[in-house]
Amino acid sequence: MIVPLFKLALRQAASPRRAVLLTLISLLPLGLAALIQTLGNPDGGDLIAGVLETLLIYVALPLVVMVLATSAFGNEVEDRTLSLLTTKPVPRWSIVLAKLAATIIVAAPVIAVVAAIVTLMDPDGSGKAAMAAVAGTLVGVVTYASAFMWAGLLTTRALGFALIYVLLWEVVITGFLQGARYLSVRSYAQGTMYGLDDTTFDDALAIDLSYALGGAAIVTAVFFLLSVRRLSRMDVP
Amino acid sequence: MTTNAAPIEVAGVSKWFGSVVAVNDASFQVFPGVTGLLGPNGAGKTTLLNMMCGLTRPSRGRVRVLGEDVAGNIGLYRRIGVMLEHDSLYPFMTGRDFVRLAAKLQGADRPELIDRAIEAVNLKDAQDRATGTYSRGMRQRIRLAASIVHDPQVLILDEPLNGTDPRQRVEFADFVSQLAEQGKTVLISSHILEEVESLADRILLVVSGKLAAAGNYRSIREKLDERPFHVRIGASRQREMAAALVKLDAIESVVLDGDAIEVLTHNLAELQRMAPVLAKEIDSRLYRIEPLDESLESVFSYVVQR
Repeated sequence: MIVPLFKLALRQAASPRRAVLLTLISLLPLGLAALIQTLGNPDGGDLIAGVLETLLIYVALPLVVMVLATSAFGNEVEDRTLSLLTTKPVPRWSIVLAKLAATIIVAAPVIAVVAAIVTLMDPDGSGKAAMAAVAGTLVGVVTYASAFMWAGLLTTRALGFALIYVLLWEVVITGFLQGARYLSVRSYAQGTMYGLDDTTFDDALAIDLSYALGGAAIVTAVFFLLSVRRLSRMDVP
Repeated sequence: MTTNAAPIEVAGVSKWFGSVVAVNDASFQVFPGVTGLLGPNGAGKTTLLNMMCGLTRPSRGRVRVLGEDVAGNIGLYRRIGVMLEHDSLYPFMTGRDFVRLAAKLQGADRPELIDRAIEAVNLKDAQDRATGTYSRGMRQRIRLAASIVHDPQVLILDEPLNGTDPRQRVEFADFVSQLAEQGKTVLISSHILEEVESLADRILLVVSGKLAAAGNYRSIREKLDERPFHVRIGASRQREMAAALVKLDAIESVVLDGDAIEVLTHNLAELQRMAPVLAKEIDSRLYRIEPLDESLESVFSYVVQR
């Protein structure tokens, strides 16, 4: 039952127009890294700290997932196609899982490949660091996807709310309040990177790997269940 | 479900969105055959249908389909076919893929079922085209095919004839008649009165969120007996006939209109019984007694204005 739902969600997520947009957003950190490398000789850690941990993790990752995840249900609600799925004998969790999986499948490779390349371009970069960067961004993709998908079911202005959330919570508040890092998707991604390679990645604000993975798993599960609950109870247009 | 239970039962159902009451204490049953849900735009038809489809939960009351509560009852969709008003499709899919997706989700992914559904709506030649290239009528038909591919016992169709041409309407009427003959329960909503009149055995009339009347067209008309019937009477010795008619208790007014007499009556049966008697008494020749407002449109307009 879930296979046709997944194929449909994948086809919707990977529309040509969206693919171009996501590629452009993802290529931004890569282009900046290439520019920095071309203009000067960056010291070890410059690209990782300046591009990967700042531009990619703070901006590109949430933006890419935001565009995909909020539209996973948002477009169905807007196009009024959601009822085509919800009037079938299909468990609601399978609809949510199919959408979540499709969002991750489309977003993860783009972000992970860019993270790996930027890490390897850094003089301090290594295979281990690249793997850690990939793992960290994957944690970010999965967690953001679950949260933003719920937002897409909740409101037609999910993209705007997601942007405000990222700016206020992930950038501003967690920057000032250290305790808030335990409820920050960005911290889960960075904590995973640091936990897997503590020689390459900055440990100043990183949380433990166990907290990062545990927190990401809990947040993902909570928003997944909230999405299932919302889909089961909402008035479908 | 017991053998005598109506396939669709709506009991004391209300639905409000904030301060807006969309449906107000509606109760009715829908039996096998074709039933029309009739009402003007904004009357609450779609909200009622959405509650019958489980897409919207009632604020109060209960909706049961095939003896089971609809809300949250996912398994029930194996026995219900739903086609909603908005002609939404996945434009990147071919017509056949769209019906196949519905079949897969219904657990009825068999080529012969898909073929049968597509043939039933006469879209065999266009089934391999992307639905994004379909006309509105074709989109309606492919959505109908998707809603019947699993051979449901109950079919709920919201404005199914939107965008269809007259030939397609005739074909659709034949199609739903066949379903009715098979013992299926078909509920069709429409704001186009002629459609419902020609399709449905029974009518549910919804006005301002309330069920205004239920029954066949004529019985609904008779229930609205406080509204005067307009009747045109053709007779010789018009003035004498008009004078005789105006003395009847059943008559509200009499107007001479060219070569006919237009009468307003609360009691059509009494008029039909007495007119020949009066004509004989005054030696008038009665040519015809012709109701002027027997169309659904007139009933509909009256209830809406009330």
